[in-house]
Amino acid sequence: MKATEIIFYVLTAITLLSASFVVTARNPVHSVLALILTFFCLTGHYVLMNAQFLAAVNIIVYAGAIMVLFLFTIMFLNLQKEDEESKTTLTKMAAVVVGGVLLVVMVAVFRAASVAPYDPATYNTRVGLVESLGMVLYKDYLLPFELASVLFLVAMVGAVMLGKREPGDRHF
Amino acid sequence: MLPIILLSVFGIVLLFLGFLKTRAVLLPAALLFILIALGAGFLEWNKSYLYFGDMLLINNLAILFSTIVLISAFMVVALSGDFLEDEMAQPAEYYAILLFSIVGAMMMIGYENLIMLFVGVEILSVSMYILTGSDKRNLRSNEAALKYFLMGSFATGFMLFGMALLYGAVGSFTLTDIKSYILLSHGRPSLLLYMGELLVLIGMLFKVSAAPFHFWTPDVYEGAPTLFTAFMSTVVKTAGFAALLQLLSVSFSAIYGFWWVILAAITALTLLAGNLTAVYQNSFKRMMAYSSISHAGYLLIGLAALGQQSRSALVFYSLAYSLATISAFGILLLVAKQHTTDGRPDESYSAFNGLSRNNPLLAFVLAVSMLSLAGIPLTAGFWGKFMLFSAAVDRGMVWILILAVLMSAVGIYYYFRVVIAMYFREGQAGRIRVAPFYQFILIAATALTIILGIVPGLFQNIM
Amino acid sequence: MQTDLLAILIPLLPLIGFIINGMGFRHVPKGLVGILGTLGPLVSFACSLLLFTGFGGQTIKVPLFDWITVGHLNIPFAFQIDQLSLIMLLIVTGVGSLIHIYSIGYMKHDEGYGKFMAFLNLFLFFMLLLVMGSNYVIMFIGWEGVGLCSYLLIGFWNKNTSYNNAARKAFVMNRIGDLGFLLGIFMIMGAFGSVEYTEVFEQAAGFPIGDATVVAITMLLFVGAMGKSAQIPLYTWLPDAMAGPTPVSALIHAATMVTAGIYMVVRSNVLYTLSPVTLEIIGGIAIATALLAASIGLVQNDIKKVLAYSTVSQLGYMFLGLSVMGYTAGMFHVMTHAFFKALLFLGAGSVIHAVADEQDIRKMGGLRKYLPITYWTFLIATIAIAGIPPFAGFFSKDEILMHAYQHNKLLWVLGVIGSAMTSFYMFRLLFLTFFGRFRGSEHTREHLHESPATMTVPLVVLAVLSIIGGFFNVPEALGGEARLAEFLNPIFNLSRRVRPSAFGETLLTHSEEYMLMGISTAVAIVSAIAAYVMYVQRVSLPEADTVERPVVQKVLYNKYYVDELYETIIVKPVRGLGDTFYSFGEFIIDGIVTGTGWLVQQASGQLRRLQTGSIGFYVFAMVVSIAAILCLRFFVRF
Repeated sequence: MKATEIIFYVLTAITLLSASFVVTARNPVHSVLALILTFFCLTGHYVLMNAQFLAAVNIIVYAGAIMVLFLFTIMFLNLQKEDEESKTTLTKMAAVVVGGVLLVVMVAVFRAASVAPYDPATYNTRVGLVESLGMVLYKDYLLPFELASVLFLVAMVGAVMLGKREPGDRHF
Repeated sequence: MLPIILLSVFGIVLLFLGFLKTRAVLLPAALLFILIALGAGFLEWNKSYLYFGDMLLINNLAILFSTIVLISAFMVVALSGDFLEDEMAQPAEYYAILLFSIVGAMMMIGYENLIMLFVGVEILSVSMYILTGSDKRNLRSNEAALKYFLMGSFATGFMLFGMALLYGAVGSFTLTDIKSYILLSHGRPSLLLYMGELLVLIGMLFKVSAAPFHFWTPDVYEGAPTLFTAFMSTVVKTAGFAALLQLLSVSFSAIYGFWWVILAAITALTLLAGNLTAVYQNSFKRMMAYSSISHAGYLLIGLAALGQQSRSALVFYSLAYSLATISAFGILLLVAKQHTTDGRPDESYSAFNGLSRNNPLLAFVLAVSMLSLAGIPLTAGFWGKFMLFSAAVDRGMVWILILAVLMSAVGIYYYFRVVIAMYFREGQAGRIRVAPFYQFILIAATALTIILGIVPGLFQNIM
Repeated sequence: MQTDLLAILIPLLPLIGFIINGMGFRHVPKGLVGILGTLGPLVSFACSLLLFTGFGGQTIKVPLFDWITVGHLNIPFAFQIDQLSLIMLLIVTGVGSLIHIYSIGYMKHDEGYGKFMAFLNLFLFFMLLLVMGSNYVIMFIGWEGVGLCSYLLIGFWNKNTSYNNAARKAFVMNRIGDLGFLLGIFMIMGAFGSVEYTEVFEQAAGFPIGDATVVAITMLLFVGAMGKSAQIPLYTWLPDAMAGPTPVSALIHAATMVTAGIYMVVRSNVLYTLSPVTLEIIGGIAIATALLAASIGLVQNDIKKVLAYSTVSQLGYMFLGLSVMGYTAGMFHVMTHAFFKALLFLGAGSVIHAVADEQDIRKMGGLRKYLPITYWTFLIATIAIAGIPPFAGFFSKDEILMHAYQHNKLLWVLGVIGSAMTSFYMFRLLFLTFFGRFRGSEHTREHLHESPATMTVPLVVLAVLSIIGGFFNVPEALGGEARLAEFLNPIFNLSRRVRPSAFGETLLTHSEEYMLMGISTAVAIVSAIAAYVMYVQRVSLPEADTVERPVVQKVLYNKYYVDELYETIIVKPVRGLGDTFYSFGEFIIDGIVTGTGWLVQQASGQLRRLQTGSIGFYVFAMVVSIAAILCLRFFVRF
């Protein structure tokens, strides 16, 4: 077993464990912390897949900015106490069974699926670097890239509109 | 292409117009912008262009679908005069978001690359999440927005997963590449492709509220401000079906045998769920939500029986459905304002009692739109159904035809409830004052419904 | 060119009338409403007459515009003028005009007079579309349109909830039929690739007899006809439809709309000739309907209900004629029936008008003196419907029975029984209404009056038609020339080509024909006499709803021991039969219909409960569905 493979399996195991902890944790702060761990592991996967730029961005944006915001909000709103309704065992069982079935079905299909092979001789090792990414983004995918700005604008306008304090709203 | 650029710019312009002291300029400006975009769209009529390296394909079909979207948006904006009077409303933002969302819809209509589809779906969906929750003081609106957002994100996740799988199989996001991959695979494409297609389909079916992915629809449609419900049930649906049509007819028509069973089953389920549940409702608005599900079912027939006729049938049906739905919601807006229970507008059937006595025009407009939705002859809705059904006949899908015809009979039941309430019940509805422009829009929609019902060929000559 | 213009004008004029009266409702002066409303149909009638006289025997197609193209299928909006549509045009516009004139007198004082005239005009427009269209889609548009108008007119006095329910019932039942029709049209599209009559029939002529597709098409189309022409099991809406104003009952529920089903079958005669199985089924349903409705008619006490059941029964006779391929006979009966049934309804309307909106015949009687014109015309119509020569009904019914006799003796026997019942309940109605002494309140009696001229003139015209209507088609056995049959002959050319044997010369000798005529006439007269004996000589009134009677009357009643015998031997069983059928019809069939509605409601209620509002459940449902779809697609082979 090669070193990369060992790293892959270890990373995968941690990813799955921390991801399931995100869902099962009772304390939201723990949840977020587990999520950060998950993101770090995913970053490791990106590096393994030769996507260095993506790895860096993932750390900066997700594990950095977004997660800080998350934590900030959760602590701000003081969501420590558990006030969510607890689901019955039956519901939980059903959810697990159905999720499991979906998983099994997908795995079964993917095992039988053929994936397009790649040729090591012609493989461009610099594919994940900023330069090639930039070339793709600003040449081939220019239009969706630009239009994504509309998406962000909408999200921003909406956030401001919904978040703006109205006269009579309570102060936090 | 031009309308997309124009609308993006106009949206920003509208945001800036919001700084002005007078709100009165916003509505005409928004209408003007939409009209300009509509005109600009037709500059590319009869020319088929691929833009930006296979990103966007503008052909006549795309222009027609865009036109329906723009007309629906125009009508919705035209019916929005109330916002200008409401202190709490933020019309500049609303209109800007509406224009941006049309950009998203147009991307869904003309996409040639799955990335474009994804960005388009997201623009449209995010706009809708926001507009659903725009009535901030209303708890139901908040709840609806959150529900929509959570469910929508879930569905988007599946769609994105599907796209990734498609890329894994094909190595490209372009529709024609997917098609040639399928053709070159000699009938044995990778299983990833099948899985990817199904997941993308599921994501899109969620957006057009097909059963069993429809559960969010009634709650969201009921909670959202009525005007935005009208927008959602027309623009989102039209764009969604245009996107599905594009995907299935361009890329996956070669593996029709694989997906038609699924789509046919979903069609049947949607028809049943939409029509049967609509019967039980007491709120007109909620009934319209179920009706929109059932119409998704009829439109799905055109996809499940994908063939030559599907394109024109889907375009025609979308147009007929949009016209009727918006005028119905337009009337609902007016009527619901008259009676308020606990400070909220009354949207039940009984609010319409005796409407014909003092407001014959409004009653007539609503009656025509109900007839059209029910598919009674001499309205546009009849021909829409007729064309879709004959597409089914062409594919020999008799059982779906029988089901659809039966369900349209069930539809009569709940559509006529409001007609009966308006004409045959006593009510104390006073005369409702309607702004002239508002009235004009309603009359125009009704006239178009009737004209299309009498001479549907007129429209087909355009196609 | 001139033919084109006429053909366009015919449906256009009533439409214009509708638009003026409908749009200007409450603004058009009352005097003008009637004139405007009546002018359209009258001019249309004149146009139809012109078309008829100028008709040269060649089918004329008047294309208006290209309507719609669906794939390879092109549907033009065109009118087809041939023998069949001409006959229907004359009936529809002719009888329609008379009823419009009558409505002026009948509805003048109603609040919604203008609206009423507008709806009548609209109805006429759709009915004309139905008979003039050159393809099934136009026919369907007219078909739905007349259904809608019928719905609007039944519920015209919409203050009353039960009237609304009747309207809704009519609409729903008609819709069930329409679904069959619509499916039939789609089947036709699938099988022939066209919906134009000429193309469809030309192609159909190449099919073998008993072809499965054709059988399916004809069955589906007949489902449509069952709804519109009130055959078992979709007939119960028609008696309920009597809630509408009487001119509506006359026009829509007697003379025109309900015969649309017969028109459709005759129009598609090639398809039906190709499908003997369907014809057998139609025959069974038709005779059952005829007998069932007639027996129910025996015990009804509402003047309009009796006429309604009689209409259902007569429609059964028409289908009986069609089922034994007596297409001409069926059409002939449509025509004569339009005359005398319209007359009966209008006469009933005149009676109701006179006795202050009372419809119960137990509270009438002796009206002969007060309403002479109504009485005489009603009498003529009664004789005509009973099938007593030489009035119109005799010829048409006799021809149907003759065809039935040739085809199947049993059908003939049942038909004659039905005709005996017809004669009985019609004369019963006549005697109870016009003979004896008046049984209503004193107050009403003082106000008894003959109706105004606008109402009596149509009565007289229709009475004349009811007398001479039969002479349009006098059979050869009676020295006639069967002119109607000869005129309609070209319509059945294709039918004759596909099944020459069935259209051979009549096998009956003249003496046999005389015998058949004699039997049916004798039966009718005997029934009439029985009714006379029972209701005029013995004055046996139908029991009141409340069984208790005043002492005097009880004594009077008991004096007739013979009566009681008669009661137990004949009347009771017959009445019992009628009651049974009545309950069968009204409750079982209604039960099925409401049961279906209930089922839908229940399903709806159950489905609604899925809508819990919990996101957790929604997501759960979504994941279940996705798993199901994937399993279905990847692990199930089909």
